[in-house]
Amino acid sequence: MKDAWLGLRAILIKDIVVELRAKQVLPTMVILGMLIVFILRMASESASAGAGAPVMGAAALWIAFLFSGLLAQERSFASEQQNGCMDGLLLAPLDPGTIYLAKLVANVILLMIFEAVVVPLVLMAFHLHVAGWGRLVTVLLLGNLGISSVGTLFSAAVQLTRTRGALLSIVVLVLLMPMMIPASFALLVLFGALPEDVIGSGSFAFVGSFQAAVAYMLAFDAIFCVASWLLFGVVVEE
Amino acid sequence: MRRLLFALAFLLLIVSTWIGLTQGQIDPLQRNILYVHVPNSVCALLCFVVVLIASIGYLVTAGQTWDQVATAAAEAGFVFATILNATGMIFSRAEWNVWWTPSPRLVTSAILWFLYAVYLILRLSLPGGRRRPARICAVFGIVAFLDVPLVYISARFIPDIHRPNFSLDSAWQTAALMLGMAGTALLATSLIWLRANLLRDSLRLEQEFLH
Repeated sequence: MKDAWLGLRAILIKDIVVELRAKQVLPTMVILGMLIVFILRMASESASAGAGAPVMGAAALWIAFLFSGLLAQERSFASEQQNGCMDGLLLAPLDPGTIYLAKLVANVILLMIFEAVVVPLVLMAFHLHVAGWGRLVTVLLLGNLGISSVGTLFSAAVQLTRTRGALLSIVVLVLLMPMMIPASFALLVLFGALPEDVIGSGSFAFVGSFQAAVAYMLAFDAIFCVASWLLFGVVVEE
Repeated sequence: MRRLLFALAFLLLIVSTWIGLTQGQIDPLQRNILYVHVPNSVCALLCFVVVLIASIGYLVTAGQTWDQVATAAAEAGFVFATILNATGMIFSRAEWNVWWTPSPRLVTSAILWFLYAVYLILRLSLPGGRRRPARICAVFGIVAFLDVPLVYISARFIPDIHRPNFSLDSAWQTAALMLGMAGTALLATSLIWLRANLLRDSLRLEQEFLH
């Protein structure tokens, strides 16, 4: 247990230090996210002024997250391909699951730094008022963890292919599709576009509440983190 | 044996269609598409279960047959999911006047199709021998199966327009649907069998050619 913790910390510190010194992906992520927000803001000018703003804001936020997250995840194992670093990692006396967790935490941290820049930008660009900052942070962190958990697993899988990034994007986006429905729902509640509890009537009867959306994201994260942690060894095995 | 299965499948499908069009017509006309739509939806899901079982089998035993069955089931499942969504869209247009709209079952069927498509692309693009791609596809097969119930639950956040179930009025209608189910299931079995055998033979040819 102690060895696993030491190994996890070592890999995590290595990844963060490498990123801070080489600045391989973080500046690209931030600029890509800002560009996505900027383009969506310009393109939706006619609708973003009034009631459309929360909808466009939530969409811009998640799209920027997904695509910038993909950049970070692809990078996290691409950087191990040079000089046989991946073999070195696998030769370390560590459970492959521990390597996965270290890479996952590194990706979550990168995406958190990204969020610190892009979320205020979205709030300003779309003139959004947030009902509850704590709840906003919770939703963003849960989304962050979900995006990173799937991405980190398949980042290791798509290395060595010619179309690495493209392949990773379709694999990750298709698996994340279900999470985006409650994730957008939660943001729409926080931005004031939807009431706290939505109870339809007649043939439109459906359940939707902020609590349910957060619970769903929590369950999604838990399932995919555990499944990826268990299956990571199979993916990297030579 | 396989030819017999194919023949039987087509016979059942023809009989089902004939009963559906004569004795078992449903009113209004567009609802008759359920004789194709429902069996295909069941088979698309069943193929996914086969992919899951074969993927777990491959990870446990590393036997090539499991991998071939998983690929074959994904290919067959892709065809059924395509027919499922196509017939669904035709029905949706006739019944609700929209080609597609987000609603729990429609979202689930669409994502099912996307998952199959990504599985097949992943299968085509992974290099590095035979064992690593097979393992990665097996991992995707398992994770994708976890995704399907999650999709269905998450779609509860969207209003539903899909009618829960059709009530079948006469024994003829039930018979047509059941024959259609049996025919499509047999077709799925024979397609998976055929494709798995083809993959096995191509692997064997490749190995003989190399040595």
